[in-house]
Formats: sequence, structure tokens, C-alpha cells
Amino acid sequence: MITAIFFIASLLALLGAVGVVLFRNPIASVLSLVLVMFALSVHFLLLSAQFLFAVQIIVYAGAVMVLFLFVIALLGPGRELASSRMPRQGWLAVVVAAGFAVLLASLLGNLTYHQPASTNLDLFGTVEKVAIGLFTTYLYPFELTSLILLVAAVGAIYLSREHRQ
Amino acid sequence: MTVVFTQVNASGALQIAGESLDTGWFLYLAAILFVIGAVGVMVRRNPLVILICIELMLNAVNLTLVTFSRQLQNLDGQLFALMALTVAAAEAVVGLGILVDIFRLREVEDVDELSELRG
Amino acid sequence: MNWLPLTILLLPAVGAALLAGRGWRWPRMLTVIVGPGVVWLSFLVVLYGYATDVNVDQSYWTWIKVDGFTLPFNLLLDHLSLFMCLMITGVGGLIVTYSVGYMGHEDDPSYARFFCYMDVFVTSMLLLVLAGNFIILIVGWAMVGLSSYLLIGFYYWRLSAVVAARKAFVMNVIGDIGMILGTFVIFFQFHATTYSDVFHQLGCSGDRLCLGTPDSPTLELAAFLFLVGAVAKSAQLPLHTWLPDAMEGPTPVSALIHAATMVTAGVYLVGRLHPLYDVAPYAHHAVAIIGALTALVAATIAIVQTDIKRVLAYSTMSQIGYMFLAVGVGAYAAAFFHLLAHAFFKALLFMSAGNVIHAMDDEQDMRRFGGLWRQLRGTSISFLIGSLALVGVIPLIGYFSKEFILGAVFSNPDPLSIWLWVVGFATAILTGFYTGRMWWIAFWGKPSPTRPVAVPQEAPAVMLWPVLVLAALSVAGGALQSKTAIGFGTTLVEDYLRPVVGAIAWPANPFDVLLALATMVLALVAFGWAYLMYVPRAERRAAFLDSLAEVAMASPHPWSSRVPWAQTLLEHKYYFDEIYDWAFVRPLDRLARWGDRGDRRVVDGSLTGVAGWVQGGGRELGLLESGYFRSYILVFVGGAVVAGLLVLWRASTA
Repeated sequence: MITAIFFIASLLALLGAVGVVLFRNPIASVLSLVLVMFALSVHFLLLSAQFLFAVQIIVYAGAVMVLFLFVIALLGPGRELASSRMPRQGWLAVVVAAGFAVLLASLLGNLTYHQPASTNLDLFGTVEKVAIGLFTTYLYPFELTSLILLVAAVGAIYLSREHRQ
Repeated sequence: MTVVFTQVNASGALQIAGESLDTGWFLYLAAILFVIGAVGVMVRRNPLVILICIELMLNAVNLTLVTFSRQLQNLDGQLFALMALTVAAAEAVVGLGILVDIFRLREVEDVDELSELRG
Repeated sequence: MNWLPLTILLLPAVGAALLAGRGWRWPRMLTVIVGPGVVWLSFLVVLYGYATDVNVDQSYWTWIKVDGFTLPFNLLLDHLSLFMCLMITGVGGLIVTYSVGYMGHEDDPSYARFFCYMDVFVTSMLLLVLAGNFIILIVGWAMVGLSSYLLIGFYYWRLSAVVAARKAFVMNVIGDIGMILGTFVIFFQFHATTYSDVFHQLGCSGDRLCLGTPDSPTLELAAFLFLVGAVAKSAQLPLHTWLPDAMEGPTPVSALIHAATMVTAGVYLVGRLHPLYDVAPYAHHAVAIIGALTALVAATIAIVQTDIKRVLAYSTMSQIGYMFLAVGVGAYAAAFFHLLAHAFFKALLFMSAGNVIHAMDDEQDMRRFGGLWRQLRGTSISFLIGSLALVGVIPLIGYFSKEFILGAVFSNPDPLSIWLWVVGFATAILTGFYTGRMWWIAFWGKPSPTRPVAVPQEAPAVMLWPVLVLAALSVAGGALQSKTAIGFGTTLVEDYLRPVVGAIAWPANPFDVLLALATMVLALVAFGWAYLMYVPRAERRAAFLDSLAEVAMASPHPWSSRVPWAQTLLEHKYYFDEIYDWAFVRPLDRLARWGDRGDRRVVDGSLTGVAGWVQGGGRELGLLESGYFRSYILVFVGGAVVAGLLVLWRASTA
């Protein structure tokens, strides 16, 4: 059953990803991405990342994507028309992506795994464990991350202020 | 909810709720999602959609991080993914802010129109 | 270190350099002082050299020094070169002074340009005669050709002038090639290039004619090659077609270059290289034959010319033929004396013709003159003196020089010489005829109804007094070498040149003097006959001789009806130009066009192709900075892929 869940979620993720790239309407793209995020949340759950599963849905799909939708609503959907400015871009993109795929495939093909650290696996991935990690070992990055958020907020306010000519 | 599992060797097999999944599957999925996202960034012309594709790439990376965190049984990967998620959110905010600012001046349907960096 | 030769050479060069650098901005007065002035200064230095009897082969610096071979820059100032320098600077000075007036109507830059070119020419000619080795000789030879080109094409806006200049230059280059190849042969044979070295090896010098050295094919080859050069420069058959066209240049140019100096360079060459020719009998005979034939052919063509300058041009060709004939039989002193005499009277003729042309508002067709005797007395007299000197009438210098040659040829023991003498004799009579024709048509009778100027003005003083000086020299010059032509008197020229070219090696025939006088008389008869043929009956005073001549209305060609084929043949100058055009010019033109097409397609095409690639590459590279976000992203990701693959590959092979 776990395997089945895995494959269904993977399929949904892939479909969503393809949808992101192919939909002309940006709203549809955003919604496809939301689907991808949900699917990935399931994967997180499978991988014993319970906290992340929740955070992904609440923060990422629930806040960031909603932000995107708001901006699209603000700016208007805008359909893409065929462009003649860079006609070769499409083909070159495929070529480069193929190269990329080859690179990744060759990397993934020769994987040897390290011996896992033998830690206490009882509470792996729980809020408790995450909190211990965040506030002790990784306190410094945690504080910096909050600083980044502050900067982003200030930046967003500044960028979207009324410009007096 | 806790999932009880046992790990025996460095074989890449993940024991999840009694069944065995291979690490590699997750990694391949993440790689495919990443490549799709990259193609989207290169091909799409609507600036908003480009930002969305970037988010997709970031998500794929997160999946890879969490996968390895599980395989190595080291929580650092999840913490990293958490940070990355946060930074991704911040970056999306700033990017959208810039876009809104540009849109005040003119209607940008095609990112190729923004070619002031020419030369 | 004797600075005399270098001074003689460099004075006109300084003048040329000054005029080239600054002359076009100078006031005219300054150009007038510098242009002729440097030539006269050089003349004074030459006079000084004559007075102090200088005889020096001075090397000034070593030009080339290679293992086993040294080439100095040496100038040879012996009696022969001094003789030539006297003539070049003296007659040259007179002509350049004359041109101060003749070219007066040019604007200032052209005026300065003219004198600059003239000074360049004088320098080149001096270099040619002062050269002490074959290489310097060739340098001077080529520079003279260049000066000729510049001066013939002086009126560069005229197509005919430019074409004539090019024709002259191309034919001169043919001669240059002969000179260069000849020098190669000389070097190959003797491994030396200075005159002193080569002549020393030939085993003769000065007054010892080298009859002892055996002949060899190499020496003959060298002699023939130099003959090509001489023939081209002196406008002898078959490389003569450039000289009549060269009359496109201003009249002083024709006087200086194409009468007095440049065209005599070939004679000088054979004279200077006489040690070579003395031991190469085939080439030596060829010189004489070419000379005699040219003299005759040119005289026949001169009979039908209507442009006064062209008559003089063909006359020049003919007289130089005489000089070639003289050096060809070994009578070097005779040739050089005639060279000097010819310089005097031909320059005189050209300058007088220039005065006439000037007075006739630049008209050169003789048929439109007529009756100038009454109106331009001074010019007419000087022209008459020149004409009589050309015909060879006692006591003018032309008689003494021409009869010196003819006498030497006649008394030459070589069996060929008597035939050559016959040709020379016939030419002398023809000379009388065409000269007479020229004189009568242009100066006698009633003014032509088509005359451009009804009342011509005599030339200004600056144009008259050089003419008068030359006229005086033509009259008095015979005193220099009278013995050989009339049996008594002086042998100054012969004596002066003996140390270099030797004496005439055969005894004079006792009939020489008689023959000389007879030639003169017959030539005068021809002169008179021309009167009968060309001055119409209505204008003649001697009515009883009418029955001997065709009567026509001032027609210059009364034979036309009797021998039309001869008329056409002569008018077309024996079709030399047409033959050359068909045989050489057209094929070369086609070759040049083919080469041009190939050049444009292949050479230019490949260059344009490369440029095209560079441009295309540049355009492609420009995409890197197109300003398009998507290109940047593409390159970004592509670069990352490449880098990743590289690292992988490295890791796998490490």
C-alpha cells in the first residue's frame, strides 16, 4: 500500500509539473503547482518528515501560492502569444534540458549510499526533534532566516509603495 | 504519528511502514521535477509563470534533501529543507514585488520585452 | 675625397626636394630662382671640373657589403661623363630658363610642380651619366624613365597625355628589363659590377680598344640585353612608338628630354660600355644596323607629319639613329659630337617651335601657320638656323657633326659599313626634304586662312635669349671639331674624349671631305625641292620651275594622288602602333582582365568571406548580451550542465 501511495503521489506530482509548464493561463499554472506541492507533502510524510509535511501545506501551498494568485489577480492573467523574437529558444531549451537530464542520470546511476548514522529513530521528523535541532544546533541559521523574512517584508513594502512622480 | 521502522545497512532501501521503497525512486522523481522546472523557466515568457517554475525547482530540491535526510537518518536534511522553504517564500515575495513595480509602468506580457540590459 | 661629382649630382636634387616640399606655397619668384638656379649652379660646378681637368672614380659609401661582394656608391667623373654633364646642365639650364616664360600661364602649384619634375629629371640624368657601376646606372636609368612619365603626363587631366605617358613608361620598362638582365649576365661572368672592375677584367681601358679579348656567347648576350635598354630609351626601332606620343608634354619637356638628353642615354650607354661592344661584334653590328634603319624610317615618316612637334620628334629619332650608327661602327667621338650638336640645334628647334606655338595660341598644326617669316622675325631666324644645322649646312655645327659620322662610316673597312653609309646618305637627303617642308609650310608664303592668331606676338625676353644662345652655339660650335669634316682645323672633341673612348681606329678616306660637301649640296637641293612641292603656285616667285611640281591649294601632301599607298603607309607610321596593339596590348589587356576577375573573386572573395564569418560570429556573440532574459537563462543552465559534465568526466578518468 505504501508503494501504491508513493506511485500515485508521484504521478500527481509529475502531472502537476507538466501542467505548470504547459498551461497558457497562469492561474492554471499556479493551481498545478499547488497540486505538485500537495503530492510532495505526501512524499514528505512517507519519508518521515511530518513537520515538513504540515509546513509545506500550510505555508507553501497555503500562503505563498495564494500570494501568487493574488498577484495574478492584481496584474491580470495575460495570455502568452507565440513570439517570434527568439524562435530558436524552444529547441535550445530542450537540448539543454536533455543535457541536464543526462547529467542527472549519470549522477544518479552511480550512487553508493553512506552508512546511516545510528541515531535514535523514535521521534525522527517530529516537531519535537525539529525544534531541538532548530533552537540548539542551528540557532544561528534560524535567526538569520527570520532576518531574511524581515528583509523580504520590508522590500516588498518598499517595492509596492505608491510612487510620487 | 510515528512510523516505526528499522534500518539495517547502506543499501538505499527504505523501510517504511513495513514496505521497502528505494531511495533512488524519490531521487529520480525529484530530478525529473527539477528538469521540468528548468525547461519551464527557459521556455515560458510570462514572468509570473517563470517565477512559478522556479518554485517548482525549489520544491524538487526540497524533496531531494528530505530523501537523503531519511536515508542517512540525519535530521539536518529536513532542517535545511525548512530553511530553504522559508527562503523560497521570501524570494517569491520580493520577486513578485519587483514584478508589480514593473507592471506599474507597462503591461508586460512577454519577458523578452524587458531587454534594457541589452549590450 | 673628391666632392665634385656628388655636388654636381645633388644640387638639382636639392632644388627638386625644396620645390616638392614647399614649392607650391611659394611666391612665383622663389620658384623661378630655385628651379633653374640649381641647374645653373650645377653647371658652374661642372665648368670648374672642366677647368681643373678632374678625372676621378670616387666611392662615397658602401651600399651593399655581402660575403665576397661589395657594391659601393661610386660616381665616375671622367672626360666622357664630364662632357655629358656639361651638355645636360648647360642645355638643360637654358631650357629650364626658357620654361620660366613658357609655363608662365600655369597656376602656382603646377608651376612649382613643373620645375620640381624638371629638377628631378636633371638629377636622374646626371646620376645616369655619373654612375660608376651598373647598379647605380640602372637606378639613374629608371629614374629618368620616371621623370619622363611625370613630365609627359604633366597635363594629367588630359587623357591623351596620360595615355602617352603610360606608353612611354611601359616601353621604357621593357628597356629597364634588358638593362637588369644584362647586369645579371655581367655579374655572372665577372662577379663585379663597377665599371672599373668589369672593364679591367675585359682587359681594356681608355684609349686601348679591346680587340684582343675573345668573343663569347655570354658577352654577346650581355651586349644585346643592354642594347634592348638603349633602344627603348633612345626610341630606336622597334621600341620607338612612344616618342611621337611623348609630344603631349609641354614643349620644354620635349626639348629637354626628348631631344637633348634622355633619348641620348642609349648612345651614352653604348659609348660607356664600348669595351663590351668592342669584343661583341654581332651586337656591335646590330647597334649600327638599328641606327641606320631607324634614321631612314623616321625620316620617311617625318615627311607626312602635320604637327610641328611630331616632325621634330621623328627628326630626333632619325638623328639618334645617326648616333647609333656611329657608335655601332666604333666612331664613338663622332657619335658624341653629334650628340652635342643635336642637343644644341634640336633644343633650339623645339624652343623656337615653342615660341611659335605660344604665339599661335597653342596651335600645333603647321598647316595653319604660314607667313610667320614676316611677323615673327626673331623666331623665324632662330628656327631657320636650327633647320639648317639639322640639314647639315656649313658653317653650322650640324654639318661638322653629321659629316664626321658619315665620313667615319664611309671609310670604315668593315664590308657592312658601305651599305650603312648609303642608308645614312639617303637619310641626309630626306632630312633636307622634310626639314624644308616644315620650314616652308610654317614660315613662308601667305598666312593660312585658318590661322588662330592674325597678328602673333614675338616671345618675351626670357623665352628668347636661351634660344639665341643656342643659335649662337649652333653657328659657332663647328669650331670644336672641324678637321674631320672639312679637312682642316680642330679636333677638340675627339681629343677630349680619347682617354675614355679611344680614337677612330681606321684612317680617313681621302674622299671624305668631298663626299661631305656633296651630301650637303644634295640635302640643300632637297630643301629647295620641298619649296616647290609645298608652297602653292600662287605664292611662289619662281614661276618657271612650276612644271616640276604638283600644284595644290596649300596642300601638305601633293603626292597623295600619285602614290596613295605610300601616303597611307607613312601616315600610319608603318603601322607599328597597330601591330603592337594587336600583338601585345590586346592579349595583355585580356590577361589583365582575367587576372582582375580572378583576383576579385578569389582573393577579395576569400577576404570578404573571412570578414563575413567574423561579422556573423560577432552577431552570434552579440546574442550573449542581447538583454533577453531567456537567453541568459539558457546560457546559465547550459553552462551549469557543461560544468557538471566536465567535473563528472574528470572524476571518472581521475
